[in-house]
Amino acid sequence: MNTQDKVKINKLPTGVPGLDEIVGGGLPEFSFNIIAGAPGSGKTTLAHQFVFANATEERPALYFTVLGESAIKMLRYQQQYTFFDPAKLPGAIRFINLSQVVLEKDLGAVLEQITREVEKANPAVVVVDSFRTMVRKPESDMDLQSFIQRLALFLASWQATTFLIGEYAEDELRDNPIFTVADGLLWLRQTAERNSIVRKLQIIKLRGQDSVPGLHTFRITDAGVQAFSRTFGLTARKRNPPRDRRLSFGIAELDKMLDGGVREGDSVLVAGSSGTGKSVLATQFIAEGIRQGEPGIVAVFEERPEAYAERAASLGLDLETPQKDGKLTILYLRPLDLSVDETMHSILDAVQKIGAKRLVIDSLAGFEMALSPGFRADFRESLYRMIFALTGIGVTILSTVEVDETFTEFPFSTYSISFLTDDIIRLRYVSIDGQLRKIMVVIKMRGGNHAKDIREYEITDKGVLILGKRLTNYQGLISGIPVRSDRPDQTEEPSLDTGIEHTT
Amino acid sequence: MRDLAHRLITYEAGSGKPSESMESSTLRVYEKLRQSLGEFVGVAGFQSLASRALTLARPEVPSLSAARVDADGSLQGMAAIEAQINMDNDRPSDGEIILIARLLGLLRLFLGEALTLSLLRSTWPGEIFEDRNSLHGRKV
Repeated sequence: MNTQDKVKINKLPTGVPGLDEIVGGGLPEFSFNIIAGAPGSGKTTLAHQFVFANATEERPALYFTVLGESAIKMLRYQQQYTFFDPAKLPGAIRFINLSQVVLEKDLGAVLEQITREVEKANPAVVVVDSFRTMVRKPESDMDLQSFIQRLALFLASWQATTFLIGEYAEDELRDNPIFTVADGLLWLRQTAERNSIVRKLQIIKLRGQDSVPGLHTFRITDAGVQAFSRTFGLTARKRNPPRDRRLSFGIAELDKMLDGGVREGDSVLVAGSSGTGKSVLATQFIAEGIRQGEPGIVAVFEERPEAYAERAASLGLDLETPQKDGKLTILYLRPLDLSVDETMHSILDAVQKIGAKRLVIDSLAGFEMALSPGFRADFRESLYRMIFALTGIGVTILSTVEVDETFTEFPFSTYSISFLTDDIIRLRYVSIDGQLRKIMVVIKMRGGNHAKDIREYEITDKGVLILGKRLTNYQGLISGIPVRSDRPDQTEEPSLDTGIEHTT
Repeated sequence: MRDLAHRLITYEAGSGKPSESMESSTLRVYEKLRQSLGEFVGVAGFQSLASRALTLARPEVPSLSAARVDADGSLQGMAAIEAQINMDNDRPSDGEIILIARLLGLLRLFLGEALTLSLLRSTWPGEIFEDRNSLHGRKV
């Protein structure tokens, strides 16, 4: 059978930002779906979003309400969402209350009424909310499984995409025969972790679609449910082949140490203790990009954008003008209860909006602290996914990280995120001649040569200034407490290593 | 709201048979509301709304004390206020208008103006609502 013989399954927009990506491009037309989850997890809101996105006067949506929340209250609350369009009622969206027939009759009668209404209205979408309340009558002639099987058969034949909404606890999910009937099973859950509520959704099954596996964070705002795919919406985008273009820091000596600059599409980590100039270096990196026509994003967590721009101005770097020109966005992300994926989506949106080529995350420690405690466990994994996704489309990322300064060790990062980076630049203090001076060394540069030199630098009103020569007259510089040797300083060009990666 | 209630009743009076009384025009408005609202709020839901509307209307129209809303949401006992209807000028009584106005007022309170108008437009022709886009119409 060639591809021309195969039936084409239309994909319907879910109306939920981010969910189309998760379900593989939209929900299959004529599919029979169950939305399950605990009370308050957003099931009804999600169904409403689908209904409002797809219902038309010609092919309306029938929304059957059963026992539970009264329809009038449901509409009262649901119309607070921005997706709710009252003009669609009752022409394109009809709410039909089945509580009387459920209370007075059996499931057979319920099925009969649904059948009657569907035949009359020829709907494109049918929702039964909540189907589970229908079986609380012990004398029901028809069991729920038979009811659902017959309903699924009927509605598929009538070319309706269907949602059954049910309240289920987590342990009821396993081996439940009702779920075998469904083409799609969307599971919504919310848990309290410390002081935060964590909402996640999972596509447990979806026939005929390549959905994104795993748990995806979602949030309910005044726009309704918004989902945040674990792949950040970048699965459809092709990864760019690695290029060898080098991006300058605008610091000639540092570019030399990096064999011409940071390779485009790399993830760079600048690690150092407080005051070593990590943010200064990051600012110079982003400013140099703008100077060369490469839009940039700076995600800051520890200071406000105005303060960040003011500090850049004190170094002679103008970040105000590129912000006005749409070449630079400084994001201040300190929501405290956001999920890591949600925060990363804000960064990604900004990157895509201005076509950013350079991204600075200042700093990873601030980023982690800005997250809801419940999400911190996922931090490294999510960071990995975001870096992988962004560098894959050619964005070069510079992250700063604060490390504890000890005078006996030389850690690259206390967050164990070195594996996320292609290149590591380490800044640190050393005690020399009664002064606390600063040294810089390129620890790692994946797939390229870099200088092995340990260079002294200063932070001036022009930014980071690397002093003229590598330090050769000291032993044990990386310990922070070097010992003077008799060997004189050398003045030759930085020596490059062979590109062999250092174990981190 | 009284203005809109008056227009709905007047419309029904105009579309009914000449022999039908103003009371039956009011009942037709009420029945149409029962039909369209009952579909989505359910019989019990409509019955609750109508009972509340009747309770709110009674202090203003004592004669409505004879009226009641049955379990199926139907309105009974309207004959008791028939005496108040001025058959000469063929105008609906205050009692009838107030009862319908209170019912519409509850809808506006719970569902908002836009959604209430959407629902009413599906039952009555659009021209009834023209030039009076707001439910805050002038009082009769």
